[in-house]
Amino acid sequence: MQKMRFPAVISTFIVCFAFWVLLTWSFEIQELAAGAVVSLAVALFAGRFFVHTKSFWFFNPVKLVNLIIYVLFIFPVELIKANWDVAKRCFGGCKNVNPGIVKVPVDLESDYGQAMLANSITLTPGTITMDIAEEEGQTYYYIHWIDVTAPSGKEAGDAIKGTLEKGVGRIFK
Amino acid sequence: MALRIVIDLLIAIGLFFALAGTKGIIKMPDAFCRMQASTCISTLGVLCTAIGAVLYAILIMGSIGTAVKIGLIALLILLTNPIGSHSIAKGAYKAGIRPEKEMSVDDYGRDFE
Repeated sequence: MQKMRFPAVISTFIVCFAFWVLLTWSFEIQELAAGAVVSLAVALFAGRFFVHTKSFWFFNPVKLVNLIIYVLFIFPVELIKANWDVAKRCFGGCKNVNPGIVKVPVDLESDYGQAMLANSITLTPGTITMDIAEEEGQTYYYIHWIDVTAPSGKEAGDAIKGTLEKGVGRIFK
Repeated sequence: MALRIVIDLLIAIGLFFALAGTKGIIKMPDAFCRMQASTCISTLGVLCTAIGAVLYAILIMGSIGTAVKIGLIALLILLTNPIGSHSIAKGAYKAGIRPEKEMSVDDYGRDFE
């Protein structure tokens, strides 16, 4: 049984309470008190599942700024490019596709970073992460790609996730 | 007036990508490509519509609470959608669904069969 860690509970509580305030959007003292009680109960149960590593990285300003840059600038650019590409293929008769599953090496180490990169890749249309495998210390993603232009390996990796991986790497190591 | 044009334009862009994704879902050759097309709907289709709706809620309805709730809807769709598409794609592959036309590269099949 894993020991309950106090910082994990605190940070889970902050996230839950922020969601409560955003959803109710009323600042009466009764609403806030009810929200605090519910959030604390949830945090006591779920804190140890929600936070695995250091709890307060989010309050590190450098990482926070990097996260905001990633969410507001790096990721939307890739998203719009990929969306436009797939929309063109859809309206162009859906014939000029060349699907395949490629295997791509990834340099991130932490669980959060890998999950965030995999979800970013899946969110960009045209690529879906299908599985993660680890071989000899190196992590690999299996990615279904709608238009294979390079065989597996580093070249395909740069085409799929070049800028995304750099952006995520600045947030999580 | 100019504000209404911007809002309507954003919603129209969202609808355009939703239309593209729908056409892809109907017309694409195999299950995996259909899923790729459907991602169009849940990213830019939802996002542009949500941004338009947020602007409408703040500037025309004058209700911040509604705007925040719309923003939360967009955030939760963005957080949960990739998990769903990832597991559907993996499940479809493991269940033995393959494209009619042979895939040009298939490392997943090579490594796990």
